[in-house]
Amino acid sequence: MTRCTSLAAACCLAVLFALPGKVAADKSNFDMSAKLYTKWLYSNTDSQGVLWLGNPFWPDDIVGQNGVATEFELNFTGNVSKYVDAGARLKTRFGGMWHDWWESGERKWEYAGEENTSGDSLGMNRAMYVKFRGFYVNLNPDIPIIDWVRVGASNLEMFNAWTIGKVRFIDRDNARGVFAQGGLPSGLLRFHGGVIALPKLWVGPGWSTGVGDDKLEYPFFTQDWAYGLRLDAEPLDWMKVSLVGTYTRDVEFDRWDPDALGSVTGGCKDAMDDPIPGCSMDNAVGTYPRFENVVSTLEIEMEPGDFTYAHLMAGYSNSRLGEDFVSNGVAENDSMFPVVYDDVYDTAFRGRLFLDDPLEMGLSFKLEGFFIGEDWNSIFGARREDDVLLTDGFLEGGQLPTLNLANEFVDFDEPWFESCIGWIGGTALTEYEGDALGVVGEFTYLTYDTNMQDRDIDDKYPTFLYSDGYTDTDLYQYDNASADRGRDPRSVYRRDQDRQTMIGVLKSGYSFDFGLKVEGKFKYIRDDDFRKIKKGGKVHSADDYLGNIYIGRVEASMPVAPSLTLALGGQYDRWDEVNRSGDQSGGYGDYLTEKWKAFSWLAYRWGGASVNYYIEYLYKDQDRPEEMQLDDQLWKVWRSKATFEVAW
Amino acid sequence: MKILNFFLMTVVLLFAGTALAFEPIVFQDPTGDDKGPGTFVYPTNSVYKSGSFDLTKVKITDEGADVKFEVTLKSRITDPWDSKGWTPPGNGFSLQFVQIYVDTDHKAGSGHKKGLPGLNVALADESAWEKVVVISPQPASRIKMETKMKAKEMAADVVVPKKVKVKGKRLIVSVPKKDLGAPQKGWGWQVVVQSNEGYPDANDLLTRDVNEIEGDHRFGGGSDWDCDPHVLDMLVGKAAGEAGEAKEQYDALKYTCAGSDTAKAKLAILPLLYR
Repeated sequence: MTRCTSLAAACCLAVLFALPGKVAADKSNFDMSAKLYTKWLYSNTDSQGVLWLGNPFWPDDIVGQNGVATEFELNFTGNVSKYVDAGARLKTRFGGMWHDWWESGERKWEYAGEENTSGDSLGMNRAMYVKFRGFYVNLNPDIPIIDWVRVGASNLEMFNAWTIGKVRFIDRDNARGVFAQGGLPSGLLRFHGGVIALPKLWVGPGWSTGVGDDKLEYPFFTQDWAYGLRLDAEPLDWMKVSLVGTYTRDVEFDRWDPDALGSVTGGCKDAMDDPIPGCSMDNAVGTYPRFENVVSTLEIEMEPGDFTYAHLMAGYSNSRLGEDFVSNGVAENDSMFPVVYDDVYDTAFRGRLFLDDPLEMGLSFKLEGFFIGEDWNSIFGARREDDVLLTDGFLEGGQLPTLNLANEFVDFDEPWFESCIGWIGGTALTEYEGDALGVVGEFTYLTYDTNMQDRDIDDKYPTFLYSDGYTDTDLYQYDNASADRGRDPRSVYRRDQDRQTMIGVLKSGYSFDFGLKVEGKFKYIRDDDFRKIKKGGKVHSADDYLGNIYIGRVEASMPVAPSLTLALGGQYDRWDEVNRSGDQSGGYGDYLTEKWKAFSWLAYRWGGASVNYYIEYLYKDQDRPEEMQLDDQLWKVWRSKATFEVAW
Repeated sequence: MKILNFFLMTVVLLFAGTALAFEPIVFQDPTGDDKGPGTFVYPTNSVYKSGSFDLTKVKITDEGADVKFEVTLKSRITDPWDSKGWTPPGNGFSLQFVQIYVDTDHKAGSGHKKGLPGLNVALADESAWEKVVVISPQPASRIKMETKMKAKEMAADVVVPKKVKVKGKRLIVSVPKKDLGAPQKGWGWQVVVQSNEGYPDANDLLTRDVNEIEGDHRFGGGSDWDCDPHVLDMLVGKAAGEAGEAKEQYDALKYTCAGSDTAKAKLAILPLLYR
């Protein structure tokens, strides 16, 4: 195409799109929008793909640290009438890299017994097929107490992180159900209820509702549902009360029902093919619960005056597990299991008091106390992208009361989330916010409801295999043995634990008139775990863990133009850990870990296009105990991520 | 020479700021009137908690070289979309978008007679605004860029605070007098509460639509045409916070739609309060 014809084509397009003029409506009967998203992920490693950390169990063929890929989505919304609207989303599967020319998704590994040299062999993930991702229909019925009913996808944010949590962004329209919201005409009481199809993967023991469980020959997952109801009332102008009740239920066939598929009493005959007395077939199959989880919270929010805010939360969790239908992952799957293998119940409490600049001098105070029982679990609670505690915690991302966390399907620049099951303690935050200077100080004291001796981690409490050492989220690998990256963020149980922790954080930021913003953060964690307290009737101290964790970070950012912001920063970590890892029989060893990180990012926004770029150099030196025959480890990692996004 | 001019200007402004210090202005607004013209309802998504757009108080004070605005809402201001995690970072809240219109001369023939794009409001000729202060969760760079693209003729008069502070129910900003001017007796003010929309309609300046029927992220009780004022709450009358002011607001925000015939639509006229 010549320059002239290009120009002519551009003009025609411009005229074509200009013809309708300004649509004088902010809602039309049919709308379509689209988005193109491209990600470049590059590092000085030899892996290829466009996702830093994938599924630990089923390796994804898009996982890798060098690659570029694009995805495209189409959103359709429409008004059936003024009372009914609907929408749907189509999106290409992410993972087809720019280098995957001709990929159709047809696997040809076995082609004629020869090495496959076609460009057409990597599977559907790499073929960028368009998938029907989400849909909804909203109905405003003519029923006075119901405002609307939704059939279809929801991100489940109407409940809370303790019960049924908002699903992570990449799953935002995978949860499908029927939802209704409304209230009494007087406005005294509002409600929001839903019946949600359980995902056959992740919400259940063994991260499934039966699929893949060795105890189930024929997993039955289409009658697995979660039920949620939220009630909100405002008894006083400054007080809100919310009650959330949820029930998650995974059922299986009754294997002793003679009508059931694969029944042990099939045809009403026993293993010797003899008739079973009293047995009769009725062409109906009964079900039994495989797993049930009831989680409920009561919250009271009070906002008297302009400066004071108080929030009280009390919760109850009850998990029941049908051992006939659930394999024991604690015993049989290296303790990788997202629930306690038993029927358990527990409570959780949290109280908050905030004083928002009461003296009108920029100084605010936040206090929080909490107790989360050792047997608390919310299988359908928030897995990431939420936070139930004020503290910065061990990991910066957030603390969530579930063992079912999701720290996979992430890139190296995304936050990590940790389980706070069993945490007891309090946090005091002081914040100063002036016009140019901002300072936040935090002190948190933690002890643990999980502190005990000789806990049953063989058959009941999962440890996620690795319970020791400060977690390195920068260089996390599921294979801890070679990476030595520390505790799994889900690992809240140890066989012997007598632990307490103190966390101190100081954050500060200063904004200069010419736009430069300088931010700093210093964090200190003192983590004491006496582990086994007595051995042979005597005080035992040889295994005591003491972690002194120091982390300092500084960053300077500046909008150099309205459309462009640049930043530069660095971080230093020093983790001095006595008896970081080992075991009772072989003994423990001391570690000294130092990390230096230099990073830079830019954000460019122009004309509806968004560009982000982040690059960092990470140097990690892990000094490991020679007496344990462990060599020191060194990492020199360059890595970068760029994204380019347009929506129209 | 330029440096000398800059120095002299700075001295003059500082002196003016000190010499012309004005008494604090306090406006009150009743609770429960966050319904625009009386019919608007919140979006159905659970992040829009009751009282989130209900204006209760506005305080304007002289801070020497700056003017400080303190806008109080009925409910605690939250950040459900984690604005601090945006790139570049936002301002620590997600839902609200407050626009403060200022008429510095109360004269016909000067100023802008339309609200910022997406608000669907007009102003009387003698109350046309000279400056508008925008308090948004969006980073200043995005507001400036969107203003440049969608309201070029107004861009020079849109004042974006350097910093937005969130204190419980209050949004607090300071803007330099060199950007706003030193407030004088007789200036007109209006404070409008809207909602921040990160994915606005093509011509709207980061505002959330009000439709006939509420949706997940759309206010309801208005019109599907661009004729209804996309204003949830604002100041009216004496601004003393009396219950009767709610009706004054509903009356002030009355509008007329005419379907696709935009010429026949009558936009609501935003009143300014002169102090």
